[in-house]
Amino acid sequence: MSILDWFLDPAQWAGADSIPVQVGYHLLYSGTALLVALAIAVPLGVYIGYTGRGELLVAGAANALRALPTFGLLVLVVMLVAPLVGSRLAFVGPTIVVLVLLAVPPILSGTVAGIQGADPGAVGAARATGYTRPQILWHVQVPCALPLFLSGIRNATLQIVSTATVAAYVSLKGLGRYIIDGRASSDYTQMAAGAVLVAVVALVLELAFLGLGRAVVSPGLTRNPLPTCRRTRTVRPDLVPPSTPRKAAS
Amino acid sequence: MITFEHVSKVYPDGTHAVHDLTFDAPSGRLTVLVGPSGCGKTTSMRMINRLIDPTDGVVSLDGQDTRSVDAIELRRKIGYVIQSAGLFPHRTVVDNVAALPRLLGVGKQQARSRAMELLAKVGLDERFALRYPYQLSGGQQQRVGVARALATDPPFLLMDEPFSAVDPVVRTQLQDSFLQLQRDIGKTIVMVTHDIDEALKLGDQVAVFREGGTLAQVATPSGLLAHPADPFVADFVGASRGYRALGFVEATAPVELADEATVRVGSRPGDAGAVDDGWCVAVDDAHAPLGWVDLRAAGEVVEERHIDFSGTVARADGSLRDLLDAALSSPTGRGLVAGPDGRLRGSVVAAEVLRHVGHGREAEVSS
Ligand SMILES: Nc1ncnc2c1ncn2[C@@H]1O[C@H](COP(=O)(O)OP(=O)(O)O)[C@@H](O)[C@H]1O
Ligand SMILES: [Mg+2]
Repeated sequence: MSILDWFLDPAQWAGADSIPVQVGYHLLYSGTALLVALAIAVPLGVYIGYTGRGELLVAGAANALRALPTFGLLVLVVMLVAPLVGSRLAFVGPTIVVLVLLAVPPILSGTVAGIQGADPGAVGAARATGYTRPQILWHVQVPCALPLFLSGIRNATLQIVSTATVAAYVSLKGLGRYIIDGRASSDYTQMAAGAVLVAVVALVLELAFLGLGRAVVSPGLTRNPLPTCRRTRTVRPDLVPPSTPRKAAS
Repeated sequence: MITFEHVSKVYPDGTHAVHDLTFDAPSGRLTVLVGPSGCGKTTSMRMINRLIDPTDGVVSLDGQDTRSVDAIELRRKIGYVIQSAGLFPHRTVVDNVAALPRLLGVGKQQARSRAMELLAKVGLDERFALRYPYQLSGGQQQRVGVARALATDPPFLLMDEPFSAVDPVVRTQLQDSFLQLQRDIGKTIVMVTHDIDEALKLGDQVAVFREGGTLAQVATPSGLLAHPADPFVADFVGASRGYRALGFVEATAPVELADEATVRVGSRPGDAGAVDDGWCVAVDDAHAPLGWVDLRAAGEVVEERHIDFSGTVARADGSLRDLLDAALSSPTGRGLVAGPDGRLRGSVVAAEVLRHVGHGREAEVSS
């Protein structure tokens, strides 16, 4: 059976173990891990970038976490947690924890680098004209940090999505199932299909991040001039003062 | 008025950046701090808006000790322009200018329309308003920087080497247009530069700093040129200061101008009438002088390529230096002089200007 036949097989698209369901679980684990990682890394990164405290901690933690063996860690955490919890959560929890540990370093270093890398001339000008520290952070540093911040999240997401296959090792669902089950039954077509699905999900997310970047990052930072017509349509009307005062006209 | 009273600054590392500084920057005037690099000009300026706190002494604004005011409140009364412009890279030009008013609660429309007015005032075309800073040249960024500093109409303005990062041609344009603007807005300005020419050109008052952060002399530009306080100032002001001083001397008696034959581009050389030595003045439709044309070298019709543009044009109400410049730079030795309306008045020779230099000097000394 070719990989195309595998994908065209209606059996793969319906039922409790169908492709949509597995993709759904894969995204569920990935999304949860990403949200938890964001909740930890963003406030921490903003704090460190803002105060300049704990920069060494960022570098050290990032390296340490990067060197962790994902699979070994997963097994370890499951072994530690399983006797205590005893339900399906015994497997879900450790999986999420491992994915979060993977995702925190890129988000953290992206956030810190973004905040600290904000144009010093712009930050200095804001300070000199009476912006308070929080105003400098919110109106100058954060917008200037968005490109690096987003690329940190993007890296984290791609890592999570490709690593979330480990969930299957501890008997959970997700795209890893095709790889594990395929290997167990020497069904190499199924294994390859699983890999393709992971790649497709990663690609779609990559495109989504591209769109997100366009939507939230100022063209002044990306140096990606938007089509003029779009810019003028959105900004022009309230920009140029009416030649006669509005009140007089109404 | 900005007042320094015995102000000193020693950095934590022991650097004595400013030493016992006492001087006034009068209201509505432009005071330039000038001196070699590292002599404490920037440090002095940044003590005005409390970006740096003095180790000793008092800086006051209109009589009020700056330490008695909240630093944030203080800074919002003081516009600030730096060398690299320091624009917000993520905001368009118009929103850079509108940013601080918006922060202080002015409505979006009002802030933007005021920003547009300011951009026009600093000589930036409306079509740049929606660009981002990276899409502007250094000179244009600097204009935006000035507009942004004026956005809340602060009574004071601090400028640190505002025109130093651009090429000489653009610098001259920026200086001229800033002088024009200052005539209009009359802010109390402290400007830092290391360029003595800029200081003499822009300053109503010039404070010369020397190494070690001490003040060498405070005077008007002409006073500095005529009476440098010591050899350091004399040396810093430069070897050509006698000639520069002419820039502040106006003729006390009418300078004698000679009439010149004129010709327009596109006309025939014969149209100029009687011409002694073959040279006559090319003028445009408004009768403003363009340059000299050697009719003997021109063919049937006078074309733009026949015009020698090398000479400068002096204003009839300008300084003796402008007149002398025009005479010395002219290919004929006769400097072109135009009236305030731009129309050609006639020409002047160097000897005639020099005849007035003696009188100008006497007039200055006797006054
Ligand atoms: N933050 C600082 N810490 C220590 N020394 C400084 C600091 N800023 C400036 N200096 C020193 O103070 C002196 C004056 O500096 P500055 O005011 O920038 O001079 P200028 O603007 O005239 O070039 C220099 O010797 C400079 O090295
Ligand atoms: Mg300086």
